[in-house]
Amino acid sequence: MVHALEETHRVLRAGGGLIDLRPASSNRTVELELAAARLHIGEIDSSATFADHRAADAALDRFVRGGLLCVEHAEEFQLTTDLDTVEDLRAFAATLRRSILGEELFQRIESLIADEGEDYIIHTRREMTIKRYRRTNGER
Amino acid sequence: MGIRSDVGRIERQYLLDMLEVEGARILEIGCGEGRLTWHFAGLARSVVAFDVTPDTLQDALRQRPEQIADKVSFLEASGVHLPFKSGSFDQALFTLSF
Repeated sequence: MVHALEETHRVLRAGGGLIDLRPASSNRTVELELAAARLHIGEIDSSATFADHRAADAALDRFVRGGLLCVEHAEEFQLTTDLDTVEDLRAFAATLRRSILGEELFQRIESLIADEGEDYIIHTRREMTIKRYRRTNGER
Repeated sequence: MGIRSDVGRIERQYLLDMLEVEGARILEIGCGEGRLTWHFAGLARSVVAFDVTPDTLQDALRQRPEQIADKVSFLEASGVHLPFKSGSFDQALFTLSF
């Protein structure tokens, strides 16, 4: 994002909007919903991405301080992904570019399912941020 | 079996609230398989969506709804050099997941 920001600023018209939609620098949580309880199972380790988030934040801050963008609005929310089976969780994990699900997390779910029965849903949640910037008339 | 992302459609709603999409020329950076693209492209004038990962762009092309196919084009690019004139877009959207 850091390198793309300059080029994006160039191709965006003056007065145009720039939306930055990203996960926060925190791990996804994994919960298992059984008929009788909802259990916290663990976290999906996304710490390898945190430095990139900090770099992206720093790059955007530089543009704002330099008068090239102004911040108009910011919100935080939780992005939830529901998975019907452990296989779905494995398929979901395979789509994550730089986040890691430990095998012990799968084993814990499989153990709980074996003890508690067949009906379950796996929930993952991640904190997200969305910010709207406005391109000023400033040029780099 | 299934994977259901954005249960409650909260992400989509925030995006539609913040992106000034109607009639706009939109540049999407880090579009992936187009998970979000389809939700706003119908309202836009045009969308150029790019990503660095060729496999996900192939997925995006396969999943592109027919009714908006003429509005959305995909590009394999890093974002360091974009083949567009200055001021070509009304809105830009970073949807990177790192």
